[in-house]
Amino acid sequence: MRIGEAARTGFLEILCHKMRSFLSFSSVAFGVAAILYTFAQVNHTYEGVQKKTALSGPGRMEIHQKYSRKQNNLHGLSRGLTLGDAEAIRKNMPELYMVAPTRSGYGNFNYGAFKTDLGLRGITLEWTKRDWAYTLRGRFINQQDIDQAARVCVVTEPGGWSDENKRPSWWGRWYNDVDDFKSFIKRTDLLGRTVRVNNQLLTVVGILQEPPIDKDPRGGWGSSQGGELTVPITTLQRYFSSDSGDRYVPESINNISVDTGSEKIFLAAKHRIENLLDSRHRGEKDFEIEDLQEEIEKKLQVMRKNAIAVLSIGLVAILSGGIGIMNVTLATIFSRIREIGIRRALGATRFDILVQFVIEAMLLGTCGGVAGIGLGLAGLRYLVEDGTEKIQSLHWWHFPATLAISAAVGFLFSLYPAHTAARLDPVEALRYE
Amino acid sequence: MIEIHELHKEYAGAEKPYLALRGMSFTIKRGEFCAIMGPSGCGKSTLLNILGLLDHPSSGDYRLEGVSCAELGDAERTRLRREKIGFVFQSFNLLPRLSALDNVCLPMVYADVARAPRRERAAELLERVGLSSKAAQSPLQLSGGERQRVGIARALANRPALLLADEPTGNLDSRTSGEVLELFESLSKDGMTLLLVTHDPVVAKRAHRVLHVQDGLIAGPEGPR
Repeated sequence: MRIGEAARTGFLEILCHKMRSFLSFSSVAFGVAAILYTFAQVNHTYEGVQKKTALSGPGRMEIHQKYSRKQNNLHGLSRGLTLGDAEAIRKNMPELYMVAPTRSGYGNFNYGAFKTDLGLRGITLEWTKRDWAYTLRGRFINQQDIDQAARVCVVTEPGGWSDENKRPSWWGRWYNDVDDFKSFIKRTDLLGRTVRVNNQLLTVVGILQEPPIDKDPRGGWGSSQGGELTVPITTLQRYFSSDSGDRYVPESINNISVDTGSEKIFLAAKHRIENLLDSRHRGEKDFEIEDLQEEIEKKLQVMRKNAIAVLSIGLVAILSGGIGIMNVTLATIFSRIREIGIRRALGATRFDILVQFVIEAMLLGTCGGVAGIGLGLAGLRYLVEDGTEKIQSLHWWHFPATLAISAAVGFLFSLYPAHTAARLDPVEALRYE
Repeated sequence: MIEIHELHKEYAGAEKPYLALRGMSFTIKRGEFCAIMGPSGCGKSTLLNILGLLDHPSSGDYRLEGVSCAELGDAERTRLRREKIGFVFQSFNLLPRLSALDNVCLPMVYADVARAPRRERAAELLERVGLSSKAAQSPLQLSGGERQRVGIARALANRPALLLADEPTGNLDSRTSGEVLELFESLSKDGMTLLLVTHDPVVAKRAHRVLHVQDGLIAGPEGPR
C-alpha cells in the first residue's frame, strides 16, 4: 500500500534529521503536555467535587445564626437560632435526610500538667450522617448521652499531613506547625480517661481520627476546623454556656446543617425552612441560609476559567508547533525537490507526493504528541501537588485524543507545503541541483 | 510505437520565446533500438521529456502506441508514464535512503503492486542485471556501473513498452559503459523499444538507428542502417 510506503519513507526522513525533527515537534509536545495537564486538573477537581458531594450530601445548606443585632436593625423579638428550631424543622419536614444542630464554644482543657484552649462542638446524633471522614476508636456519643446531657466527650485527633516530612507547601507548615494539642494527643491515649474542661469533668468515650489534611475528601470545604472536643449538644448547653453574652438563651445553637437528601427538593425545602424559621423568629432575620451547592458551583466556575486559560495556552503552543511543522515540511520539500522529480518520473501522481509529505508531517505531529504525553505525565508526577492522583483521574481516551490532536495539527499545517510540492513541474524538479 | 508529427516546443525567453523544437517529425517502430545524437542545446532533452510524458509540446502531435498524448492532463500522463515508460538517467537518480531493492520497488509502489510480489519482481530484476548480492545495499555503497544497472532494473519494474535513457553512460568509464550497453542490447533482443540520448558515437554505433538532432529538427542521415 502506498500509505504504508509513505509512512516508511517519512519515518526514515525523521530519523535522518533528528535535530530538525526534534525542534519542530517539541512545541507540539509542550502544547500536548499543557492540554493533558488541563484534562488531569479538571478531572481531578471534578472527582473531588463528586466525592465531596457524596460525603456532604446532594442538598446541603447551612443555617447560621447572625450575631450583630444592632447592625441588622433587629429588636430582640427573636430568641435566635435554638435547638427548638432544629426540632421544628425535623418535625415539619421528616423527608429531610439530616437536620443537625450544632453549638460551638471554647473550653479550657486540662489533663494532668497539660493545659490548652480547645474548641467544643455540641452535636446531636444527626451530625454523624454527613461529612463523616473519621476513623473512630472507642464509641461515639449515643442518644442516651444526649438525653441525659451526660458528661462524656469524643476527642478529635488531627490528621496532619499524610507525609509529615514532605509537607506540600509553606502555608500548610504555617498553620499546622506548632500544635500543642496534636503532639499531646499523639503522646497520650485519652480513651477512657477523665479530662477537665472549664472545671467540668468529662469522660473520653471515643477518639475520632481525622484523615490527613491533603487526603481529606471533604476537601477543605467541610467544617473540619475547630471542635477538637465533641460533646452532646445538651451537655454543652447545660455545663458550658457562657452567661456573659449580651443576651443569654440557654438552648441557643450556632448552626443547623441540613441535607435534603436530594437536589430535587432542595429549593422547596429551603423555602419552607426559611418560612418556618421566619415565623418562629417573629419575622426577625437573625439567621442566614448558606447554600453549599452554590459554593461548590462557584469553585467549579473558577476552575473552569482556569482550565480554559491553560487549554488556550496549550492550543497556542500546539499552533506554534504546527507552524514549526509547516516550516520543516517546507525545508524538507526544498531539500528533496530532485527526489520529487524522480518519483514523478517513476509514476507517482501529484496526490502521491502530497500524501507522502502530509504523512511525514503527521508522523512528526504524532511524535510530538507522544513526547508531549511523556512530558505531561512527568510534569504532573514531579511538579504538581497530588500529581499521582491527578494522573489517575485521567481517562484512557485522553491519550488517543491528544495524539489525534497532534496528528491533526501535522495534517493541517502540512497541507499547504505538500500541495506546493505536488504542483512542482517534474522536468524542473529533475533538473534541480 | 512512437509517432511524432510537427512537434514544436517553445519556452518563454527573456525577450522573445525560445524555440527548443521546431516541427520535428519521426516514427519509431516497436522493438527498435534508436540513438538520438546532437550537440548540447539542440533540443534532445526537451524531446526526451516530451516522449517521456514529463512535459507537453507547444504544438504538434505525439502518439504513443496509437494514443494521442499531446493534450492529456497530468493524471493521465502520469498513468501512462507509470505503465508504459521506463526512465534511465545520466546521474542514476537513485534515492540514497532506500536500498537497491527498494529503489527497484519504487515504480511498483506507485503501480499498487502488493508488497510480496513487488519484492519478488525486484529481486528477479536485480538478478537479471547481475546485482542480487547487493540488493540490501544503499546506492551510496555501489559503484557507478552498479548504480546504473540498478537504475535500469528500476526502469524495467513495471514492464514498460518503452525505455528512455538520457546519456546512460555519460557518467561511466568505458568498461562499465560497455556492460551497461550490453544490457541494453540484450533488452533490445527481448523486444524492448529503446530510445537512447547520447554524445558518444561509440554508444550510438550499437543502436539500430541514429537520429541526429540539430536546432530542434532531425538532420542528416536517418533510417535503419
